[in-house]
Amino acid sequence: MKRLWQIRELSTVVILALEIAFFTWWLWPEAGRTHPFFNGENALLILKYSSIYAIAAIGAAIVIISGGIDLAPGAVMALTGVIGSNLFVVHGWSLAASMTVGVATGLATGLLSATLIVAAPLPPFIATLGMMGIARGAAFIITEGQYFDVSSRLLGGWRPFGVPADWVAPIVMIVLAIIFQVLMTGFQWGRAVFSVGGNETAALFSGIAVNRVKFSVYAIAGLLAGVSGVVLVLVQGQGKADLANGYELDIIASAVVGGASLSGGRGSVIGAVLGTLIFGVLRNALPQIPGATFYDRLIVGVVVIAIVVMDQTLLKKRV
Amino acid sequence: MITAAGLEFRNVTKSFGAVKALAGVSLTVHAGDAHALVGENGAGKSTLLKILAGIVQPDAGEVRWNGERLHLGSPREGLERGIGMVYQEMLCFPNLTVAGNIFAGRELIARGGWLRVGDMRARTRAILDELHLAIDPAAPAESLSAAHRQLLQVARALAFECRILVLDEPTTSLTDAEADHLFAVLEKLRARGVTLLYVSHRLPEVFRLCDRISVLRDGHHVETVDRRGVAPERIVRAMVGRELPPRSARETSAEAPVRLELSSLSRRPCFQNVSLSVRTGEIVGLFGLVGAGRSELLETIFGLHAPDAGEIRLDGRVITPRSPVAAARAGIALVPEERQRQGLFFNLTVRDNLVLPDRTLRGDALVRADRERDEARALVERWRIKTAGVEVLPDHLSGGNQQKVVLAKWLATSPRVLLLDEPTKGVDVGAKFEIHEIIRREAARGIACLVASSDLPEVLALSDRIIVMRAGRVQGEIDAAGATEESVMHLATSLERAS
Repeated sequence: MKRLWQIRELSTVVILALEIAFFTWWLWPEAGRTHPFFNGENALLILKYSSIYAIAAIGAAIVIISGGIDLAPGAVMALTGVIGSNLFVVHGWSLAASMTVGVATGLATGLLSATLIVAAPLPPFIATLGMMGIARGAAFIITEGQYFDVSSRLLGGWRPFGVPADWVAPIVMIVLAIIFQVLMTGFQWGRAVFSVGGNETAALFSGIAVNRVKFSVYAIAGLLAGVSGVVLVLVQGQGKADLANGYELDIIASAVVGGASLSGGRGSVIGAVLGTLIFGVLRNALPQIPGATFYDRLIVGVVVIAIVVMDQTLLKKRV
Repeated sequence: MITAAGLEFRNVTKSFGAVKALAGVSLTVHAGDAHALVGENGAGKSTLLKILAGIVQPDAGEVRWNGERLHLGSPREGLERGIGMVYQEMLCFPNLTVAGNIFAGRELIARGGWLRVGDMRARTRAILDELHLAIDPAAPAESLSAAHRQLLQVARALAFECRILVLDEPTTSLTDAEADHLFAVLEKLRARGVTLLYVSHRLPEVFRLCDRISVLRDGHHVETVDRRGVAPERIVRAMVGRELPPRSARETSAEAPVRLELSSLSRRPCFQNVSLSVRTGEIVGLFGLVGAGRSELLETIFGLHAPDAGEIRLDGRVITPRSPVAAARAGIALVPEERQRQGLFFNLTVRDNLVLPDRTLRGDALVRADRERDEARALVERWRIKTAGVEVLPDHLSGGNQQKVVLAKWLATSPRVLLLDEPTKGVDVGAKFEIHEIIRREAARGIACLVASSDLPEVLALSDRIIVMRAGRVQGEIDAAGATEESVMHLATSLERAS
């Protein structure tokens, strides 16, 4: 049993299951009514909105495991969403082309942060804090206060490759989560990320190309934030400069709740995705409880602290 | 006979995991004495000190001061009981002023929470004057020399009016003149009735300062003797517990090809004009005191720093490794000095640790866990690494076994040149001999080994040739067959004597 608990993702699954069970019980409807929380449609809704956070959280987890931090994903999501929707709506580009440019913008921000961190070298906190300002600022400059209505141009049942629109975000998220989970656990690159985060000096002394590893990590985080931003405009239907405001903290919190250690060397991609689902369920269920709406930010904060404290005391792991 | 007066350890026992650091140590330090605690690395000296300082809690046993039991739950309690510590690693806050360092954690505070900066500086001034130290209390600690930082710790202990002053290898990074100053200060303190507990493995210092000497070995208290009427050789035997094995009479042919050759390699200010060569199958000892530039030299060969001038040749070809990866690809491996900081990943398993350099060099994309597990098990068996398995984290291993992991991970890459920096620092005597055996065996297979060490018996026991460095320069070269501790030490310190 102790061994099982040591698989960190499993405890996150248990927390998620307990959370779902709690809200299912709390929101149990009167006889004859459908359950307002525990039903397939709502599950898809939770999955769809959590995917936006989860795609970026994959990158955040990888950065955190490498011993760094990325504060930019929220702003990068806004910028990539704005650029993608601007090309699509204003310039009439095809959906595929405009969204590809959006994702590429995300990669570009990641490459810029990576260059600042590796070549300057700036502390990741500072480099990505600057990137956060630059990306958000660029989004405002492009939109000039307007918003780009993506949903009206998508009308008529958008079904890429025959997939229902609601399923696009979850599928993209699951595919990326699997790819990066495998890269992190089954490939030398992933182990190099863990080694750099665990002991950067020893990594250098062991012949690991530390700078290359760090560079790749921030580039990937930018790329994934780009994907996340594009998915966000597709889900919400509009591109505007204040998209994803403050998401970076939820994203970092998800990675940490999923087992990532802010001092580096620990964590997992799947854990981060499960972490976003824990918050996704909270964001979905709390507004359904009368009077709880005003408490949801507070509850999210308490949950972050509670889970990490529990993790530390139960598993005696370092955060 | 003095009873119950002084500091008394009674049956103190402490284990870390499977490693028994102290196995029922009982010894008494008389009040007002200067008492030495000697022993090899891993003998348990540091653990005993940590217990006295309140950093580590013993599993069993107790510590008494003048008959009264001390409950040392935290470093703070130790300080409040009048136990001052001067650590080897020189704990200090480089960002604070000298006065700030001395009063750290015990600042003088005026009503309303204001710091009494002026008073603290004045008190600091008084203490420093007493120690004859010309240091400005307002200067930042980072501007001080290593020696002054060491003495700053003594001053800090004095500020707390300590009754017992514990010094852990305080002269490691001091020059002779600086050490002399420290001893003068210590003599003065002893005259004032402060009890000194002096931990060192440098016997000349111990004989100079201390009244009584306690020897620890492998966690046991071997004996306590009076300085008068005991010869240093007897103490050495008690520390080692056996006669040092004679140098294995290995014949390295003078015709063996030169594998590693440095010509006028410089990296100022660490080392200058270093020229040396290591033949295939040869073990060359690189001896010098701390600060002689040995670590920087090895790290430069390993591609961690760029040299200012000079050449590195490997098998006759000039190489310019710009990174450890490049050096390792060329066949150079470095076992670094600080295995905790530079050698091991404590978030990864022993398996990961053992295969990482090899896999990184091979450039494989995939992690083949099964194959790696077999390889790691083979390495564990081959180098006799005591571990509960290959899928555990390395923090469960003893220092000696951790060091073997670092050694084994590089030997797995089949290097042509093996650079070792203090290869047996902080390992127990048994592991030390095993590590020496590994180095000898690998050299016999044709690896050129360059071993930097400040452990003179080790250098003498291991090397075919000894190169002595001082202040970044090669002072001379001695054939190991004709070398003695005196001849090597003389070279290592000769400049100072000349001046």
